[in-house]
Order: sequence, then C-alpha cells, then structure tokens
Amino acid sequence: MSAIALRQVDKIYEGGGRLVTALDHIDLDVAQGTFAAILGPSGCGKSTLLNLVAGFEAPSAGAVTVFGQTVRKPGPQRAVVFQEAALFPWLSVWDNLVFPATIAGTPKAEYEDLARELIITVGLAGFEKHWPDQLSGGMRQRVGLARALLMRPQVLLMDEPFGALDAQTRLQMQELLLSVWERYRKTIVFITHDIDEAVLLADTVHVMSARPGRMQARIDIDLPRPRSIDLLMQDRFNALRREIFSLIRGAH
Amino acid sequence: MSELTASEIAAVSPRSAVLRLPSVRPALLLLQTLAVPLAILLIWELSGRLGWIARGILPSPSAVAQGWWQWAFGHDAMGLNAYSGTWLANVAFSTKRVSQGYGLAILVGVPLGVLIGWSPVVARLVDPTVQALRPVPITAWLPFSIAIFGISAFGAIFLIALGAFYPIVVNSAHGARDVNRNLVRAASMMGASPIQMLLRVVLPSALPSICTGLRIGLGIAWTAVIVAEMIAVKSGLGYVLWDAYYIGRMDVVIADMVSIGLVGFLSDQLILLLAARLLRWKQQR
Ligand SMILES: Nc1ncnc2c1ncn2[C@@H]1O[C@H](COP(=O)(O)OP(=O)(O)OP(=O)(O)O)[C@@H](O)[C@H]1O
Ligand SMILES: [Mg+2]
Repeated sequence: MSAIALRQVDKIYEGGGRLVTALDHIDLDVAQGTFAAILGPSGCGKSTLLNLVAGFEAPSAGAVTVFGQTVRKPGPQRAVVFQEAALFPWLSVWDNLVFPATIAGTPKAEYEDLARELIITVGLAGFEKHWPDQLSGGMRQRVGLARALLMRPQVLLMDEPFGALDAQTRLQMQELLLSVWERYRKTIVFITHDIDEAVLLADTVHVMSARPGRMQARIDIDLPRPRSIDLLMQDRFNALRREIFSLIRGAH
Repeated sequence: MSELTASEIAAVSPRSAVLRLPSVRPALLLLQTLAVPLAILLIWELSGRLGWIARGILPSPSAVAQGWWQWAFGHDAMGLNAYSGTWLANVAFSTKRVSQGYGLAILVGVPLGVLIGWSPVVARLVDPTVQALRPVPITAWLPFSIAIFGISAFGAIFLIALGAFYPIVVNSAHGARDVNRNLVRAASMMGASPIQMLLRVVLPSALPSICTGLRIGLGIAWTAVIVAEMIAVKSGLGYVLWDAYYIGRMDVVIADMVSIGLVGFLSDQLILLLAARLLRWKQQR
C-alpha cells in the first residue's frame, strides 16, 4: 500500500468569473519511507497538490488517501513545512518547537527529550529563547522542520521550504534534510522547481507540466544513500539532471 | 564560516559610525525641550501681573498654583471654599468611573471584536449594528443616558464604556481579520481545536491591533467621563470643572484641566507599558 495515493484528482478554482484547472487527472503514489520530489514550473499546481494532501483544500474530483484513509481535513499525521516557515512570532524558538505538543495536550515528559534532540539535530542549541524575528531565514526554516518532526507525523509535506534562501544556506539546509531523513526515515513529499534539489534529495522525482497541471513523468533516482552535497559533482548525478532537463524542455 | 564573520563585521561598522556623531550636551537638550513651555508660562504670568488680562478671566500661573494647592491640601475653610482639600477625592471618583467603564468596554469589546474578525457568521450578525451605531457621538447619548440611569455614576460608566467600546471592537476585529493564513494552517495541521485557534493563534496575532484600540479607547474614556460628570453626575473632575466655572473660580478650572491632562497622560503611559510587555516579541530585532 502506498503511504500517499492520489487517484484521478482534479482541482478547479473559480477566480474572477472563470474556471482555472490547477490540477488535471493527477495520479501519484508515494511509497512508505521514501522521499518524493514534485518538480514543476511556477503555477503548475504544486502547492495545490500539497494543500490537497495536507487537507487544507478539498479536490474537485478524485481521491486523496494517506495510509488508506481519505484526507478530509488537516491533521497532525500530516506535518507541513511551509515556505516562509510560518512560525508564531509571539513565541520563542522553544515554544514554537513544542507548540504542536501543547496543542495535542501531550505531557511535557513525553515530548521534552525529543524536542531537545531536535534542537541539537537542526543546529539551534543556544537559540531556544530567541524570537523568530531575531533569526535568519535558514534558522527559521530549521525551527519549522524541527516542529514538524516533533509531531511524529506519518508523512512530512514540504512546499518549497528552501525556495527563499540564498544558495549557500540552501545547500546547508539540503544537507541537513538528508541527514534528518537518514535518521527519521519519514515519508516526504517535497515541492521544488529546482532540478538539482530534486535529484539530490529524492528517491523519485515526479515532473509536472503547467496549464493545466498534469503529471508528466516519474524518474527514479538510483543514487546511493546516505547522500551528501558532494553528489552534485558526480557524473551519475549530472546524467540524471540532464535527463530531467530534456524532459522538461521537450514538454514546451 | 569566515565569510559569516566578515559580514558580521560589515553589519556592525555602520552602527559605530552613527555613534561617532558629535554628541549634543544633555543641558542643551533639556533647554530645547523646556524652552517653549517656559516661555508660555512666563508670558502668561507677566500678562497677569501687568494687568493685560483681567484676573477673573485668566488667573496667572502662580494664582492657579495657589488655588490648586488649596484644592489639594486645604482644610475645610468653614464652607467658604467648597473645593478645599477635595482634589484627591475627585481624581479618585473620575479614575474609578473610567476604570469601570473602560474595563467593561475591554471585557466586551476585545472578545466581540476578535469574534467579528474571525467568524464571518458573527460578523454578519453583529457588525452591521456596531457600524450603524458608531457614528452617533457619545455626547449625543447624554440625554438618553440620563433618562435611563438618572443623575448617577451609572450614566457616566455607560457613556465611558460605550465610547471606549467602538475603537476597541473595531481594532480587535481588524487584527483578527488580518491573521496570517499560513499561521492558521500551521495550527490546523497540528490539530488545533476552534477554541485553541482563537486563543492561541487569532488572539495573539490580533494583539498589536488590540493594543492600538485600547489606547484610543482610553483617550475617549477620559473625554467621556468629563462630559458625563459635567452634566449627569455630581462629583469628579468633570463636575468640579463646570461647577467652578459657574462660581467664577477660574483658578480651579485651570487646575482641573491640568489635572485631567495629567491623569490622562499617566493612564496612557500605563497602557503603553502594558502594550510593551504584551508585544515584547515585536520590539526585538
Ligand atoms: N485560491 C485560488 N483561487 C484561484 N486560483 C488559484 C488559487 N490557488 C491557486 N490558483 C491557481 O492555480 C494554479 C496553480 O497554483 P499553485 O499555487 O498550485 O502553483 P505552484 O506550482 O505552487 O506555483 P509556484 O511555483 O509559483 O508556487 C495557478 O494558475 C494559480 O493561479
Ligand atoms: Mg507554490
């Protein structure tokens, strides 16, 4: 059984009196414990797809299931890492991190150790008392990632989480995410429009085309794990990114 | 890592350049601040002493100070001076009414405003009524208030609460309406209940706007208490203001005006202090 399955999913928006088909007959399967990247140009419906899996929006047609359950509303089994981190600005780093546990009413003893471990994992030890406004974009995103992991979700949904970061910080975050995946082995759906990022991180890359948003191709990334950003220099990596690049160009 | 340190140094250096600006001596700063008020007091005092203005119309600052002293600390002069020693009591009366009316306005205005901003249903139910009543100034409510409550403190409290309510409810609603959609989504994916969403996401995001409303509301509360006491109550700073005018005690009138300004200023500082505490996370950076 797939961890995440979309069957013939349509999403049609009504905006300004006309209909916009954001997603058109989307089929998608993500196996448990694998890392899936959704790659596509701006406006092809990547965020829409993620929002359907998260339960923020409902499909116009078709079915979205996570571990066999139809998605009806957002829930803590499906943690989301937002592009702008979406931290609560009135809470400290620590309070942001443990916010989901306090919402769930989890006793402190049950989440405190994991929270401490996560703070160290994402490299934010010593910043627990800072306000989000005092952090850099990369650091905010580290909190967002740690917060999502604290929820011990079945799946992790990430919408261009590193899209707003500078190239160097982005590399650091990609390396962090690789090590986090090694450690926690979550099922991840990762949205990006960056071919390198998709190839570096994912087990499978799902390429989308725009207007209307369709699934165009699925490429298995057979690069060995554990991976590091040294892969960016290797021939096999370059062959894969060339393959995807020509696929995308062929679509236009 | 070395680049990071270099950029840190670059970020620090312009700040130290600012520090090297020629320093202005504190004495000069104080003089600049006080020059205009002192000049006004001086001209006012002189024009009184030189007989340019009749003393009965505008007593000089020193006469006001004397009258104020008597009002504040004087003993009951066998009924000759009705105000002797009553200043503190009257300040207390007005302050108490403001606290009660303003407290009521906050108690109703903040929750209602947040609900209006958050829930389209509540907005449709309540907002039209609030918006329809809002243009009626509190002064226009005076006869209504006296008809309902008579000459009593309740009338004043009603007017204060009503006047302060509008800016509080409107700003609270505005703040709750503007809550960042991604923060709501973040909380909902954590499984937040509607109550948790309201109390832990919507309310804190609306706080800056709520504080603005509280501050405007407090100003209106002081206006309302003076108006109400002038007409509908027989004690407090507003009552003394009007009464002293009637019996020609302009020194007390002016001392009363300054007193209102003073307590208004102090209570505003109190709200600012509260807001600074509540919004600590905003002042960082
Ligand atoms: N709420 C909405 N109402 C109307 N149209 C929408 C809405 N949300 C998205 N769309 C449209 O659906 C299409 C897909 O949008 P979506 O945000 O999913 O794209 P995306 O692939 O995430 O783009 P980007 O890379 O720029 O984030 C776009 O044409 C967009 O204009
Ligand atoms: Mg998007």
